[in-house]
Amino acid sequence: MSRFRRAFAAITVCLVIPLAGAQDVKVHAYADVRLVDAPNDPSFVNGGPGRTRYGDGDTQARFGAAALVVTAQFTPALFALADMQLQQTDHASPQLTEAFLRYRPVSLSAWRASIKGGLYFIPISLENDGIGWTSPWTITPSAINSWVGEELRGLGAEAREEWRGDAGTLGFGGGLFRHNDPAGNILAMRGWSLSDLVYGVGGRLREPSDDGGRDQYAPFQSIGGRTGWYADASWKGASGLDLRVLRYDNRADPQAHRLYSDGDRLFAWRTRFWSAGASFPTGPITWIAQGMDGDTEVHPRQRTLLTHFQSGFLLAGWNRGAWRPTLRVERFRTWPSGERGHAVTAALNWRPSGWLRLTAEWLHVDATREDREDVGLAPHERGNQLQLLARVLY
Amino acid sequence: MRCLLAVATVLILGAAPAHAGRVVIEVVDTNGRPVADAIVSLAPMPGTTSRGIAPATRFVDQKDETFLPYVTALHPGDSVIFRNSDNTRHHVYSFSDMVKFEYMLGPGESSPALLMNNPGNAAVGCNIHDQMLTYLYVTKDPEMATTDAQGRASIDGVNAGQYRAHAWHPQLRPGVTLPIQGVTVSEAAPATVRFNLALLPDPRGAMDREHIGY
Repeated sequence: MSRFRRAFAAITVCLVIPLAGAQDVKVHAYADVRLVDAPNDPSFVNGGPGRTRYGDGDTQARFGAAALVVTAQFTPALFALADMQLQQTDHASPQLTEAFLRYRPVSLSAWRASIKGGLYFIPISLENDGIGWTSPWTITPSAINSWVGEELRGLGAEAREEWRGDAGTLGFGGGLFRHNDPAGNILAMRGWSLSDLVYGVGGRLREPSDDGGRDQYAPFQSIGGRTGWYADASWKGASGLDLRVLRYDNRADPQAHRLYSDGDRLFAWRTRFWSAGASFPTGPITWIAQGMDGDTEVHPRQRTLLTHFQSGFLLAGWNRGAWRPTLRVERFRTWPSGERGHAVTAALNWRPSGWLRLTAEWLHVDATREDREDVGLAPHERGNQLQLLARVLY
Repeated sequence: MRCLLAVATVLILGAAPAHAGRVVIEVVDTNGRPVADAIVSLAPMPGTTSRGIAPATRFVDQKDETFLPYVTALHPGDSVIFRNSDNTRHHVYSFSDMVKFEYMLGPGESSPALLMNNPGNAAVGCNIHDQMLTYLYVTKDPEMATTDAQGRASIDGVNAGQYRAHAWHPQLRPGVTLPIQGVTVSEAAPATVRFNLALLPDPRGAMDREHIGY
């Protein structure tokens, strides 16, 4: 049993035992099915070169995901959350995507402090504030937040301080984490993707393969045993302006590695990036913008393989009661792989009742990546993915 | 007995103003849409006598993880009681300059009466459910009313005379000078007060099955 699994067993025990004594336990859940018209390239989910969740050009009804989120308020200050999801990748994959404890005592001053520990999303996305880290704006999150859902998490602890004034709330936070050493591997090996797949403990990411291989790895594992950090600052103004900036460094040892099942080496990727985002309402329109800039490197056999990555998006959502049309445009690139592309996403969301969400989404991707030629494909790809989703919420 | 009747008659006649009128209030935003939960109060100008104010107790409920009402208008000397009608706990608190307090309320419980001594306003939250927010507004002005969903309110039995009307809403820009306008109240016809407010977005977080708020 790995140390990570032992740590998770300990967290689970810590969550479950007090659960019995907690006064306020709540269960939330969702499940969705969708009709998908996919682009022609085989999806990265199946080891293909396509960068959308679905591929092979077929039109099919699909199971998307199901999530069970349990929260418990043990004391007025002590809160716990566990999020278990069943994701349909190239196989049905049950995963623990979040499990954390938060201690946040009441404060009768403008300052309020909190601490959190466990497995949790770092405070980076302004899109994904829905149940199970879903986006209420679109089915498919931006390329940035698709990657966050795939590879960015770890077992850690954070401290946070808020100053609450009449004009808004200023926040500072930071955390230390482990078991996120492969973060960056998929950006270097595959590039950016656009997908609502969220991985957790128990999930395995698949690398692109040109020989039918099935190289898969657990994205949340320790390779080299180093501790990473992140720090963030935020401003939530009374005018509705929400600003967020974050620095991440997993401090991985780029020479450390483990073996895949077939004997290849999975390296620890030293990954650092800046992320900055803003959200602002203008009447019924909500604008969200986010940018990310960073790099990731490994040192196999005294060589340095360095990949730079950048992406940014602008989203506009029109809040019309039960209806919410959304449009998002984004660009992304990695180099020296020569990957460069853009995507446009248009979604029409309808909430006819509190328990049901219906969404139609059209996603257009136009990108170039030179190593597609290695598998006999043209470097330039262009595709459309259409999804009609029905999500039941509990 | 006749003496008691005479005293009662004098008291009743004394309590009712010789000339009383009605004030009709309408509050809209900069787009002309009705503004709910705006508090409009009337301060008498010199030479106008106002009605006496008896201390009152107001209730703020917590239902479906929402404070009801969103704003509560009070006078100094009034009290407020927080009631929990949910089946979950709430940790009601305020760190405002006007009043600082915290009450841990289990399902069905109510707080002790909280006395408001001074004018001002206070944001009140729940430390467990951060999206919950309500406001207490305390004014010395003797006449006050809160607008409904149509942005309307009215005050009856206002002593005739000259008044200065103030409007307050929790979503006014912080530090902004409160809008003021003069109003003349007479017995002949209702006086109308119309305010046009520029409001910031609603600070309460959206909560539904999709947004669970953690």
